Amino acid sequence: MSKYILRRALGLIPTMFIIVTICFFFIRVAPGGPFSSEKKLPPQILQNIQKKYNMDKPLMIQYVKYLTDVARGDLGPSYKYKDYDVNFFIKESLPKSMLLGALALLLAVILGIGTGMISSLRQNSFWDYLSMSVAVIGISVPLFVIAPVFMYIFAMKLQWLPVAGWLDDGGVKMLILPVVSLSAPYFATVARLSRASFLESLRSDYIRTAKAKGLKTSVIMFKHVLKGASLPVVSYLGPAFSGIITGSIVIEQIFRIPGLGRHFVQSAFNRDYTMIMGTVIVYSLILVIMNFLVDVLYGYLDPRISYK
Amino acid sequence: MNKDIILKVDNLRTYFNTDDGVVKAVDGVSFELSKGETLGIVGESGSGKSVSNLSVMNLIPSPPGKIMGGTVTFDGRNIFDLNEEELRNIRGGKIGMIFQDPMTSLNPFLRISTQMIETIVLHKKVSKDDARKRAIEMLELVGIPKAEKRVDDYPHQFSGGMRQRVMIAMALSCDPEILIADEPTSALDVTIQAQILELIQDLSKKLGTAVIMITHDLGVVAGMCDNVNVMYAGRVVEKGTNDEIFADPKHPYTRGLIKSVPRLDRPKQKKLYSIEGQPPNVIDLPECCPFYPRCEHAMDKCKTSYPPAVKLDGSREVSCWLYEEKTSGK
Amino acid sequence: METTVNNELNQHVKGVSLWQDAWRRLRKNKMAMFGLYTIIFYAVISLSAPILPIYSYKQQVLGHQFLRPSFKPAGQLIYEKKSKFLHAMAAKEGRTELTAKENQELADLKESLATEKKKLLSGEEVLVNNRVYILGTDSLGRDLLSRIIYGGQVSIMIGLIGALASMLIGVVLGALSGYIGGRFDTLMMRFVDIMYSLPYILLVIIFMAIFGRNIANLFFALAIVSWLTVARVVRGQVLSLKNSEFIEAARSSGAGTARIVFRHLIPNTSGVIIVYTTLRVPAFIMLEAFLSFLGLGVQAPFASWGVLIQDGVYAMTTYPWLLWFPAAAMTLFLFSMNFLGDGLRDALDPQSKNKL
Repeated sequence: MSKYILRRALGLIPTMFIIVTICFFFIRVAPGGPFSSEKKLPPQILQNIQKKYNMDKPLMIQYVKYLTDVARGDLGPSYKYKDYDVNFFIKESLPKSMLLGALALLLAVILGIGTGMISSLRQNSFWDYLSMSVAVIGISVPLFVIAPVFMYIFAMKLQWLPVAGWLDDGGVKMLILPVVSLSAPYFATVARLSRASFLESLRSDYIRTAKAKGLKTSVIMFKHVLKGASLPVVSYLGPAFSGIITGSIVIEQIFRIPGLGRHFVQSAFNRDYTMIMGTVIVYSLILVIMNFLVDVLYGYLDPRISYK
Repeated sequence: MNKDIILKVDNLRTYFNTDDGVVKAVDGVSFELSKGETLGIVGESGSGKSVSNLSVMNLIPSPPGKIMGGTVTFDGRNIFDLNEEELRNIRGGKIGMIFQDPMTSLNPFLRISTQMIETIVLHKKVSKDDARKRAIEMLELVGIPKAEKRVDDYPHQFSGGMRQRVMIAMALSCDPEILIADEPTSALDVTIQAQILELIQDLSKKLGTAVIMITHDLGVVAGMCDNVNVMYAGRVVEKGTNDEIFADPKHPYTRGLIKSVPRLDRPKQKKLYSIEGQPPNVIDLPECCPFYPRCEHAMDKCKTSYPPAVKLDGSREVSCWLYEEKTSGK
Repeated sequence: METTVNNELNQHVKGVSLWQDAWRRLRKNKMAMFGLYTIIFYAVISLSAPILPIYSYKQQVLGHQFLRPSFKPAGQLIYEKKSKFLHAMAAKEGRTELTAKENQELADLKESLATEKKKLLSGEEVLVNNRVYILGTDSLGRDLLSRIIYGGQVSIMIGLIGALASMLIGVVLGALSGYIGGRFDTLMMRFVDIMYSLPYILLVIIFMAIFGRNIANLFFALAIVSWLTVARVVRGQVLSLKNSEFIEAARSSGAGTARIVFRHLIPNTSGVIIVYTTLRVPAFIMLEAFLSFLGLGVQAPFASWGVLIQDGVYAMTTYPWLLWFPAAAMTLFLFSMNFLGDGLRDALDPQSKNKL
């Protein structure tokens, strides 16, 4: 198994290489350079700037230089904020986004599996209908509707929670609304998924065997059903990670959280190319590593997966 | 013989509510099982033989299934009156069960050892170490080679026949009084089938376990059962000892079943015999003998009412209008 | 055709085709039918928008900014607002009556509101203060009802075209990949795998930011990233069908690759494709709304639900209806699409309940 993990881990490198390459050339073919919006610069200054960003060299050389820099963990200077490195912005904003995303996902998975489990045990009960209706709402209502609605109700009308900001502005209370809003769609999906897979598992032959052996319902649920039934949830974690990343962009916008998502959107508007590439590379890296971890977890949970 | 009856099923009725109507899967089934006896329950798929035995364990998935009436007496008490805990003591402890498909009946995510030990610890109240010893012992008994090592394998590492052996070992590990085997060989290769049947027969003799053998295969019944119940459309249509049933089948359905078994010891027939028609849809079955459309002796009476069970000589019983006069004459 | 036959026991035996059976199951599903009717309602409203008695979605009326939803004409709302304001002022100063000057002011306002005429975009001159804004107006004095309807047109169109485009690309590539197999299949799936590991929404954002924010670019950006899953699903279906007997039969009777793919394989995967496409429509609408929300989607004077919601979020504190109505309109539609999609899945493919 450790061989398999190592092989999969090494497989991440070409994926990242392809992502960096696609980003690099994608942005280079884009019309309009980063400085085209500014006032017409004197040729001498423009040349100096281009030299600073290696833009005077042939494309392939720029590409190789960028690749080696990225491999060393250096994402280069920002085009827009000339005195700062991209690394600086990422170091400052990434932890906030990671905390937000991790909490939201954790909440979604724990609450979702719990809800799904109870719903499957009390199929067609009031609780089942209630929680599944809530889940349908969570899936159908977009994040950028849920978040403002929560904000309007809990922050503006009831004034229980702060409207916007981050930890420095008001402590842990600041986290509640963004985390709950961000987790809502994923909670809903996990709840529906796990209800379905718990039901399927409960109807399976091996659960009939477990019942025929005289096991208690709680033992059946936690020992016999949970492992198999959580597999669909585990495979959903991959798409959920990328969803959380997209969602965090919206949430950071609405709750004015100075995370990576806001930098990303800002840099897209500013055409700050190095910044765009930097954020995309960081996001991709997180996504790729998370998908890898999900694979490993899946293999650990399902003994039928063989490692060849 | 009567005093040793350990399980008595009386007028059991189990219905399923489906979108299309009420399915009367089991509609008034009665039978008895004595200590150490091997009882065969024979019928086509959908005749209610599996459902009746799941009902005995109160394992009908509900909804949609519901036990509508009847009693199942085990150890002098009606199983449907027991509370959840008492019921659990019987399941796996006093009555063991093995199922048709060994590929899906073991939990694929847990080691064999985990699955066996939890049962033994639960019912025998022994330590985990003792339970493990017992599990290995049972695996050896059912003929798993290198049981000591293989006990920690996962189900997918065993072949179908081996898995069914594991199932048998698990079902017998708590010394049950009854073993219910629900088509234990239908999903297996023919060569393995005989081995598994032999194993069940041997072990039940050795351990004194009564066996209910549910099957659609008359060959299985002929080989190992003491008594036979024939089921059709949710009811028992004929009962008798193995010899009686095979030597002198009374119900036209039983006769058809026996005739349709291909035999090597008879001169080659031109065509295999088969019962014409399809088994009936048990949804909203009208009041009639459900076999009459396929029966060569069908009478007008058959179309309007179900024949009562008629006791013939010895332990035999048959539900068919052909035998009505004989009893009323006596 | 539905055939009703009685068997020997006088029981009904029904012969039903897959589609009849699916329709029967769908009709039983109340939520799915609710979804279907709601979608039909939306479609009718969107299609007939030009002939509906609603105002232009582009018409800005000076003085009509942020009017609250009401069945009263705009002039009356403005008058009431002013009167309320003057009374509040008076109360603050401890008076119960308005001064003569203030009364005169109100009377003048009433007079001017009643007679004020404006030339609209359509060229006609109307008594502008007689306009009724059932759902209120936005920051530029535009009718919210009209903007929701026209915005819905744009959103639904994007959802439909996006779903259809991704379905076409995905079905063709997936079916070919599955049917041809070999190196072509390996390459295709490798490519799909890599595309999957890209955070594609980020690429769409970059694409829109760099190449300009117009609807054509939006379609293009959505189409290039969204066929992946369809291709994968269809490929899987085709692979499992490929070796089935009816395909063998078609092949042995001399049918060519294209014929087998388009006449035999694709129709047999149509259930999955229909379900998947239905579920893609709300996904596309959400994606577009997400981009619009970030300011990268549909640009003025056009609107989409996403644009309206973005406007609403910024005005939410004081003019909450600007968020409620567009959000409700969009949510109801997404709900209905999801219900219908779920219902179709259960109806067409009862075995694989709750999968996908």
